[in-house]
Amino acid sequence: MPHVPLAGYLALASALFVIGAIGFLVRRNPLTMLMSIELMWNAGNLAFAAFARSFEDMSGQIFVFIVITVAAAEAAIALAIVVMVFRHRADVDVDEISIMRG
Amino acid sequence: MIVLFWICAFVLLITGLAVIASRQPVHSVVSLIVNFSALAVLFLTLSAEFLAMMQIIIYAGAILVLFLFVIALLTIGNQPVETGRGKLAFQAVPAVAAGAVALGTIWYGVRVAWSSGAQRISPDFGSVSLFGSALLTTHVFAFEVTAFVLLVAIVGVVLMAARKEVRF
Amino acid sequence: MGHHIVPPIPLILFFPLIGAVTIALFGPFVDRRASAFVGTASVFLSFVITVWLAIVVWQLPIDQQAAFAHSRFLGYWVDIPPYLVISFRLLVDPLSIVWMLVVTGVGFLIHLYSVGYMAPDKNYRTFFAYMNLFVVAMLLLVMADNFLWLLVGWAGVGLASYLLIGFYYDRRTAVLAARKALIMNVIGDVGILIAIFLMYAHFGSVAYQTVFASLGRVPAGSLDWIGVWLFVGAVAKSAQLPLQTWLPDAMEGPTPVSALIHAATMVTAGVYLVARAHPIYDRAPVAAEIVAVVGGLTALFAATIGTVQYDIKRVLAYSTMSQIGYMMLAVGIGAYAAGAFHFVTHAFFKALLFMAAGIVIHNLSGEQDIRKMGGLAKRMPFAYWTFLAGTLAIAGIFPFAGFFSKDAILDQALQLHHPWLQAAGTIAAFLTAFYMFRLLYLTFFTGSYRGDHEPHHDSSWTMTWPVAILAVLALIGGWLVLPGRDLMSSALAASFVDARFGQFLGEFNWPLSISTLLLAIAGIVLAYALYQVPSGARDWLRTRFSPVRDLLMNAYYFDVIYHYAFEAPTYALADFFSRYFEGEVVGGIPRAFAGLATWFAGVSGGWEAGYLRRYGLSIVVGVALVLVLYLFLTHAPATLGRP
Repeated sequence: MPHVPLAGYLALASALFVIGAIGFLVRRNPLTMLMSIELMWNAGNLAFAAFARSFEDMSGQIFVFIVITVAAAEAAIALAIVVMVFRHRADVDVDEISIMRG
Repeated sequence: MIVLFWICAFVLLITGLAVIASRQPVHSVVSLIVNFSALAVLFLTLSAEFLAMMQIIIYAGAILVLFLFVIALLTIGNQPVETGRGKLAFQAVPAVAAGAVALGTIWYGVRVAWSSGAQRISPDFGSVSLFGSALLTTHVFAFEVTAFVLLVAIVGVVLMAARKEVRF
Repeated sequence: MGHHIVPPIPLILFFPLIGAVTIALFGPFVDRRASAFVGTASVFLSFVITVWLAIVVWQLPIDQQAAFAHSRFLGYWVDIPPYLVISFRLLVDPLSIVWMLVVTGVGFLIHLYSVGYMAPDKNYRTFFAYMNLFVVAMLLLVMADNFLWLLVGWAGVGLASYLLIGFYYDRRTAVLAARKALIMNVIGDVGILIAIFLMYAHFGSVAYQTVFASLGRVPAGSLDWIGVWLFVGAVAKSAQLPLQTWLPDAMEGPTPVSALIHAATMVTAGVYLVARAHPIYDRAPVAAEIVAVVGGLTALFAATIGTVQYDIKRVLAYSTMSQIGYMMLAVGIGAYAAGAFHFVTHAFFKALLFMAAGIVIHNLSGEQDIRKMGGLAKRMPFAYWTFLAGTLAIAGIFPFAGFFSKDAILDQALQLHHPWLQAAGTIAAFLTAFYMFRLLYLTFFTGSYRGDHEPHHDSSWTMTWPVAILAVLALIGGWLVLPGRDLMSSALAASFVDARFGQFLGEFNWPLSISTLLLAIAGIVLAYALYQVPSGARDWLRTRFSPVRDLLMNAYYFDVIYHYAFEAPTYALADFFSRYFEGEVVGGIPRAFAGLATWFAGVSGGWEAGYLRRYGLSIVVGVALVLVLYLFLTHAPATLGRP
């Protein structure tokens, strides 16, 4: 059965990555920013999986597995930090936690 | 296959945009769940069955649940929604511009790989057994380190959770 | 005569120049009388040398006089051969000598008069410095041998006029009048400048000798243009139509200034210019016609206005305007000697009239409104008799000076076939006699004194002697031209050897002279009937012809028209510029830059402040840049060419 060429997956992955990057930069809600980071992780995963299939090398898929694991750890830690910082604040806005003035 | 790819690609991008554009974080989480699901389907098209399952179980099942818990935690008495305009001017436009430029460059670069890509691969590529053997033989070091990373993460989170109040 | 001792001609310019500089530098440190002395003495010395020079020149035969004229070389001003070479030479031909004699002679008398007249003023020293400056500039004007130096002198007298009109600088009206005079003068300066450009374009030079010798090479049309532009300058300086509005306002200046600058000398510079450029006007009939017509019209125009004015000095100002119209008429039709003759006599009696009026004003503590005078003949006999001498002279009564010079002009007008101009001049003569005697009656007669101030008499000899001398000159000055013996044109012959028309004035047209004289007497009688004899005639005239009277009193509304046509738009434009343009645009540009810098600082500051998203943006932008750079560096030559 005809497959989609590698470039298609790569284009899709890069588009998803850019969407995630823009989301991270534009939003001020820390949770949304973290979710954008997850998007970026996933974009990278997609690219790795596509390359793995293209070169018929399992290493790509292994790497995806590693990435998922590390992303989980990172998400846990990041969420813990977010909770710590914003627990007692009224506004959930990363711009407000800048201690350095000006 | 191609049809499936395009459908999943479409869903992926739409939900991706929905994630970054939703006002309410809960909406973003829901969109993200759909996004992950579409991604799992794409993994299936890439002969990565184990990864597809991993994606659903870990990402959609654990991480996003964690997100939901945090949203719930921060919503009590708080308004986890951005209000008003940001303090930073000149942020959105350069971000979108830079993103577009990067995307355009990458698309320009990958077009050389636009072959039909129909190649024969072995039917057990991406199966659990193959995945497991690769993981525990060729990449066992990475496997062990990953476990260590998880341990560090757990310890760190527990430490942070047990801390006294920190005010910013 | 054998050898002649040639006088040092540059000293004529030198003395008043040094006088002005000395007074300016050292005047404040010494007694004020020293400034007066230096100022007056310098002009006197110039006068002495000028007289000496005149004697030398007029003893030469005519052809040698012309050769004598162009021999005073003092150095180069612009030396760029072959494009432009302007040397600084002094010209001493009879025409310039006539003007020099009047400027230094009458100038000296007026300086002497000012010693007493200006004594109460706190800026006494400055006055003499300015007056000397004026004398220098005027002399430079008439002694230049090329149009550019003439323009320098021209502008110099304009400056002196501005300074002296605005001498009472704390009076708003004076300052405004000075500004008005300067603006109109500058319009004239531009006219002369354009003429100089045209001359340079056609002849490659602006020296009199060169220009006049090459006139045959250009068509008459171009000469007409040069003549017209030169005349624009003359119109401005001599207060002819339509640039005449500054002269009545110029009476804000002190009376000696009015006497010297705005009667005897500066305002005649336009006449001098036309006479000097007579080779051009002789070959440019259109331009010459314009000169004559403008002169005639102005003579008539100003005379009509003079009949209703009630400020002594204003009446005299309009009378000056009118008389200069006569001079312009003369030089326009080619009667240069007649114009110069009238210039000389006019200088005598006009300066006399101003100075006598000045005595009256001085004695009345500054009153100038003739409606507040009257009956002064008994109280100020000296002023009265001298003023009467001047009035008789200007009215053209035999045997006073004006009779001869005015009739010379009217006669020449007839001879050279300009009947309309002659008619205009005759009507103006009638009006002149009328309004001058009106002035006399209202000031010195008509019942008792109507004024508020008590007249006092404190005229010193410095004020009375010059007036007396001028009164004598006003009486006998006309006798330069008597039947059969014309000293004026023979004196000027060397300057006008190539003039189109003969300049001899000695043939008297007796019918014309007698009829003009009768007209003048009729004018005097009319003035007597209206002003001296109490009757209701004046009131009847006033009510019957009130629109005419309003027209005349407002000087044909020239000031009003000019205000709305030029002043008001200019003020509006200036206001717009100062309020909006200045503030918004000119101020706005630096402000925009400042705002830009501030904004940029704000933006850049965001990077330093710890904003998470900023750091992320830096990274992403960097990534994008790196990608683009990579693309161009590795693929650019090949890929960009591919379709």
